[in-house]
Amino acid sequence: MFKKIFLSSISIVVLAFLQHFVFSNLVILGASPDILAVFIAFASVTIGQRTGTTFGFASGLIVGILSGNIGLSALIGTVEGFVAGFFHVSEESHPTLTKKRRMFYSASLTSIAIGNLLLALMNNPMALPLYYRIPSMVVIGTLMNIFLTVLMYQLALKKTMRD
Amino acid sequence: MLSFFRFIARHTAYLLFLLYCGISLLLMQLQRKETIDAIRTKGLAVNASIAEQISYFNDLVNLREDNEHLLLQNAKLFSRVMSQETALRDARSLNAIAAKDAAPNGRFLVARIVDRRFSPTDNVLVINSGSNQGIVKDMAVLTPDGLVGRVTTVSGNYARVMPVINKDFKVSVVSDSTSTLGVLSWKDGNVDMAHLENVPASSRIKVGERLTTSDHSTFALRGIPVGRVAKISKGKLFSDIDVRLAVDFSSLSYVLVARAMPSGEKLDIMNGDEGGKVQEQQRK
Repeated sequence: MFKKIFLSSISIVVLAFLQHFVFSNLVILGASPDILAVFIAFASVTIGQRTGTTFGFASGLIVGILSGNIGLSALIGTVEGFVAGFFHVSEESHPTLTKKRRMFYSASLTSIAIGNLLLALMNNPMALPLYYRIPSMVVIGTLMNIFLTVLMYQLALKKTMRD
Repeated sequence: MLSFFRFIARHTAYLLFLLYCGISLLLMQLQRKETIDAIRTKGLAVNASIAEQISYFNDLVNLREDNEHLLLQNAKLFSRVMSQETALRDARSLNAIAAKDAAPNGRFLVARIVDRRFSPTDNVLVINSGSNQGIVKDMAVLTPDGLVGRVTTVSGNYARVMPVINKDFKVSVVSDSTSTLGVLSWKDGNVDMAHLENVPASSRIKVGERLTTSDHSTFALRGIPVGRVAKISKGKLFSDIDVRLAVDFSSLSYVLVARAMPSGEKLDIMNGDEGGKVQEQQRK
């Protein structure tokens, strides 16, 4: 467990930098992929709600320090980690890989949608109207990140989840 | 008390969530405070330095493309400068109209040096353009700084170039202000210097004069810079003249190949083969 938390902590730092310098620049129709949110959802599902919430807060702080928006990023990260934690799958119940995958997808979808909604409501640097921000950031952003979730699961997280 | 700790243990996640949310909201409220502002400033400095490194890397990736684009632009500008300089010289010697046909047409190919053999007595360059790109034997190779050499062997996509700093290389040159003619060659192992031969001791050539290729050259168009007179030692009949070459051969990576060459008819006459083609043309 400690090894898992240690590796996840390092991954969170690396992914926070990647998110800020690479993925945040890939804006498609007003939304950008959020690799960090997907990973926080993964950490919450596999490790637990407390760790997920802490990871969310920490990663939000890092991204916030880099972007200059410390409080908001930390708040969104915390909320995402906490919400995803409700889908936590305990290893003691000996879950199947299919169940883990299903819970991970659900956690990712819910936490990202809520995170994007918070972001759309609380941050509006371009002074866009709400009827534009909600569809572009929440709907398109969530759809884009669902695609990213499947991709990340197939490429990297599946093996970790199986172990 | 025990039940209190039990409550905390049971609801740690909620308490953590509330704590983190509280800190986050506090941070949002304190955005303009000095301490938070200092953290933000430090964060932005880190952000900017990493972003600069990333952009530097992107620049490096695009450098080759930019370089080739600049070289093409340079070739165009160089051809313009050369034609203007030549026209100016022609106007000065009241020979502009007659010389117009021989003026450079400004068409150059850009080629990259892919191989280079260097020894004190031998120096050969290989460029990545050949007959498929329109290169033929005896074309002049140059940079905007001056003459590099001449094409000696051509394959499909590559060509071998004999540079000025080759013991077998010779080119006819003329000085800028006194119009002194001579033959430039390279003798020793110094890559900066060459020698000017066949200059009579009575010549008025001066140190610092610029030398360019002359009309007598069998491969290069006139007007290509070659170097500057560095030292003159007067002999009984001829002067021994050292020339500082215009091109820095130690840092060559791209060159221009002049498509235009002296006319074949002129070369035939210079080589003494005026019998066949010229007479035939006169008959027509």
